[in-house]
Amino acid sequence: MPRRTPSSLNRSSRLPRFRLGAGRTGSLRTAPVGAAVAVVVLALVGTACSSVEPAGEQPSGQSSADQDVFGEPADAAQVKDGGTLTVALSADPDKLDPSLSRSLYSRYVFHTMCEKLYDLGPDAKIVPQLATALPTISPDGLSLTIPLREGVKFADGGTLDSNAVKVSINRGLTITGSGRKSELGPITSIETPDAKTVVIKLSKPFAPLTAALADRAGMVLSPAAVSKLGDNFSTAPVCVGPFKFASRVAQNSIKVVKDPLYYDAAKVHLDAIEYRIITDSSIRSANLRSGDAQIADSLSTQDAPTLQKDASMTVLQSQSLGYQGLTINIGNANGVGNPKKQLDSPIAKDPRVRQALDLSIDRAALVKTIFNGLNTVACSPISPKSEFTSDAAQVCPAHDPAKAKELLGQAGVTTPYKVEMITSNNPDSLRLAQALQAMVKDGGFELVIKPVEYASLLDQQDRGDFELLQLGWSGRVDPDANTFNFVGSEGSQNVAGYSSPELDKLLTDARQSKDQAERVKLYGDVVTKLQQDDPLIYMYRQRNLTGVSKKVLGVQTYPDGVIRTAFAAYAK
Amino acid sequence: MNRYLLGRLWQSLVTLLLATIVVFLGVRALPGDPALALAGEDRDPESLRAIREQYGLDDSLIVQFWQFVSHALRGDLGVSIRTGESVVSMLKSALPVTMELSALAILVASVLGVGAGVVAAVRRGRPAEWAANALALLGLSVPNFWLGLMAILYLSVALGLFPASGFVPFFTDPIANLHHLVLPALILGTGLAAVIMRQTRSSMLDALSADYIRTAEAKGLPSSAVIGRHALRNSLIVVITIVGLQLGALISGAVVTERIFALPGFGKLTVDAVFQRDYPVIQAVVLVTATAYIMINLLVDLLYSVIDPRIRVRGEV
Repeated sequence: MPRRTPSSLNRSSRLPRFRLGAGRTGSLRTAPVGAAVAVVVLALVGTACSSVEPAGEQPSGQSSADQDVFGEPADAAQVKDGGTLTVALSADPDKLDPSLSRSLYSRYVFHTMCEKLYDLGPDAKIVPQLATALPTISPDGLSLTIPLREGVKFADGGTLDSNAVKVSINRGLTITGSGRKSELGPITSIETPDAKTVVIKLSKPFAPLTAALADRAGMVLSPAAVSKLGDNFSTAPVCVGPFKFASRVAQNSIKVVKDPLYYDAAKVHLDAIEYRIITDSSIRSANLRSGDAQIADSLSTQDAPTLQKDASMTVLQSQSLGYQGLTINIGNANGVGNPKKQLDSPIAKDPRVRQALDLSIDRAALVKTIFNGLNTVACSPISPKSEFTSDAAQVCPAHDPAKAKELLGQAGVTTPYKVEMITSNNPDSLRLAQALQAMVKDGGFELVIKPVEYASLLDQQDRGDFELLQLGWSGRVDPDANTFNFVGSEGSQNVAGYSSPELDKLLTDARQSKDQAERVKLYGDVVTKLQQDDPLIYMYRQRNLTGVSKKVLGVQTYPDGVIRTAFAAYAK
Repeated sequence: MNRYLLGRLWQSLVTLLLATIVVFLGVRALPGDPALALAGEDRDPESLRAIREQYGLDDSLIVQFWQFVSHALRGDLGVSIRTGESVVSMLKSALPVTMELSALAILVASVLGVGAGVVAAVRRGRPAEWAANALALLGLSVPNFWLGLMAILYLSVALGLFPASGFVPFFTDPIANLHHLVLPALILGTGLAAVIMRQTRSSMLDALSADYIRTAEAKGLPSSAVIGRHALRNSLIVVITIVGLQLGALISGAVVTERIFALPGFGKLTVDAVFQRDYPVIQAVVLVTATAYIMINLLVDLLYSVIDPRIRVRGEV
């Protein structure tokens, strides 16, 4: 789908040629046809001269990459009750079942209708939601006690209690195809000493659990709905939330309506929220500007500058906790889940070749030219916005193509060294790949781009049928979820086939430690080790860009990327 | 006539079965599998195995095909792997949208195409013909998605004349329904209008040079009657054939149009299902499309005899 580049607008300059013809057609005896033709053509020609802002402009004076714009809570005096909010979503959420859901986009919908034990604040810190305080962890780290909020009703009228929490967590641990099992870690049992207390028992300390309970694993499902619907819970999900599920049209829209039983219903102003799936980013922006949608997620870095200049729009920005990077196939010759086997290529065998590739990438230039400076440079899996960041975690190798060539020479590789990279075939990924191709040439690499459709890319990735792979991770609050599975020897998504006992020990110690300072230090060491071995070259962090009409107040985004619309309202 | 109909129905059934087999195998020959697409970011081998087992993706192809056909014969097309919804209910909500959009697009295309075609033929060699030809060229050469994007930018964003996305069911609010469908129908109808225009023009030119037209003119019939009642009526046979044959193009055009305007139709359902490797949905969509295609071809054949009494299907001449 073309963006509104100057070249695509130029094509509209063809239109005036037809104005003459259309005018004369109207003078014929066959007036109705002529008139219809004239109306269509004149409408297009006439509006081609209207005041639509020229596109494809470079941004100027926009906020710097380090500035997040999270949005403000609505001021009750400035808003009115009622109305339906339309959110243009870039992808269709999968199953609306917190135990089974695996799509990032389902979290946008869940946040309005399925509250969690814990939530995230704008500073990426965990705060209680359906719990009343952060969990009390026993000295041995094997028991977490969670106090629950009282007087909370599910959308079906049932009461939230410790049993409901137990049912929900157990379901996440046991249901076939669960997306929560690995997030919940080594849970052995859940105890309910009374209706407002839940005690989670573990076989090993597992520090990332609280963060997992601030995501889908911590959503509490109505036990009555679970027993009634079973595996089909997603067809009519019932939880606790400001809104409740109303309807879904496959691949097209999801509607939630205000839940009068919600414990804080006075803070909810909207009658309903409709999520409309519009996959093309230009069309999402157009819907926002035409007023058909009031919010659009995942704006393209090409469209955002135009919207930032529009006085009737706000562009919310939050830096992602995830990353985009280049994975190098080191030992994934047999496919993920099978015994590792090293590939017989210099880049798989010699860390110096991987370091050379890393040094050939000018991240700052990449971010500036390809993403209009809206994304940020990344050299590690730990976001600078994370509370686990440190100086060591943010060390970044400087762009140095001369040193890259030197390293290739030391590794005995003749230049230009040809490497093949598979990447998704969407326009943004291709532009990135082409920029990389030009960039790494100076470092002695000849990058061959193999664009593949997304589903095929995942397939090739898991089969280990690639040399280099460009893909990212949306990011989680706890660094364990951004590292262990990807670079740990036993990680389920270690598609690099990388294995380092030293790194494994650091990762395991970090996930079992209860001491925040110690975890910060350990993740710094993880980054140092990763930069030596370079199984995954981190390149940049995406900025979640959300367009919001100024007619709506109280829309917020946090570092987890979820657009918070539940307490938004139309301005008076 | 009956024997002819039975023969055509039998051929149709065989075609349908072949289409089902080809799609069943074709979808599975694609790289990537639904378990991977469904697992999204949180993939691990254990979950993938569980997903494959849950949806019978680890069964042999023959078992999977038999499951599909035997269930389909009972009216059960399975559940979407991605959303867990019943495929039949997904189709039930998507089909009317696309049918309405296609009907409106055909209407737009016929009015524009036949009108411009007649003008081009009657005013041959004059500016009106050039204009009509230019319009046809524009319709044929400008891609749907570009036209759609431009229409949204100028008619929805700048002028606010039409909604840029969304759909209201006809029985909920007929006016809002038509308001939402005007732009998509215009965009979808443009390409087809161009084809119809060119076809109408050449058929009309043939007809206008025929003896019976000269006779009609010699008898002193007004030119509107000569063109409308004699020339155009005879030319419409070809046009109807073209509309039938272009149905496939219309459905593929609907894929793009529905995505641009976020219409909950069949085309959007199809392309999203392919990207997500949602096998049950793809199979069902193809089954329904193939059935519709075959039935429309049959209808077109039968329509010939209604439009032109000289044509009678085999066995009745």
